[in-house]
Amino acid sequence: MLPDRSRVSKRVLVADDDPVMRHLITTIIQQQEHEAVVANDGRAAYRILQSDSDFKAAILDMTMPFLEGLDLIRFMRSEKRLMRIPIMMITAEQDIKLMASSFSAGATAFLPKTFTPEQLQSAIRMLLATRRSSRIAA
Amino acid sequence: MSFERITNETQKTNALAPVLAGVIRITSDAVDMELLNAFEDLQSDDGSDLIVELIDLYLKDASQRVLAIREAALANDWVLLKQVIHNLKGSSASLGVRQVAQTCKMLEEIECDRSPEGFGELLQQMNSEFARASEALLSERQRRLQ
Repeated sequence: MLPDRSRVSKRVLVADDDPVMRHLITTIIQQQEHEAVVANDGRAAYRILQSDSDFKAAILDMTMPFLEGLDLIRFMRSEKRLMRIPIMMITAEQDIKLMASSFSAGATAFLPKTFTPEQLQSAIRMLLATRRSSRIAA
Repeated sequence: MSFERITNETQKTNALAPVLAGVIRITSDAVDMELLNAFEDLQSDDGSDLIVELIDLYLKDASQRVLAIREAALANDWVLLKQVIHNLKGSSASLGVRQVAQTCKMLEEIECDRSPEGFGELLQQMNSEFARASEALLSERQRRLQ
């Protein structure tokens, strides 16, 4: 799907192999009057991104089967039609180096688990309100 | 009710108190109910119970992952094993299933091929923590549906 430049997209790509996280993130996105486009792993997200760039933001899990979050970020940042989409990386890792590598790959926000529902909600709200140049470490 | 009966009932209750306290402690140990119940803030008005939905999703997914961990350990597939352990750690942490998440973290850090005994013990610990957490989550689910 090609984005209509005259309107702001309300669609958010959610790629996570954890059904609990997918359900949580989708619930929050819908509450914030956006639509979640869900992928169960990195490869499914990659396939969506190959033909669809109409996204307001993307929320990616760091560790997923077939293709990791970091690889997806690198792909998105290398494609002109995807490079302006703000990306939030979610991870169960506590390693500070991963935050650095996420940002250097082009992530806009980084959210390590465990977080409270409030933190997740605010991180998504900030992501949906952010522009490509900003960075958020939640 | 006679005085004697009341006394007996009270004694029975008192006798059960430490056991009940133990159950409550174990339950709250296994799952961070405060974190889990904080998801109530995200509840929609459509009559569904988000926490019940999350519990159902977690129990279904985590049971499969626990099984996958067992199978990967039996097959000595360390790469798959670490990957599934990592996934279980993440989903457990996000719902406040602390002890499972903590045990998974220890399993991730241990070198399974160098310390198979320690790894085996931790796997057993993870199984029993998961059983405790499942019990706590199921009882929370039942409480919410009443």
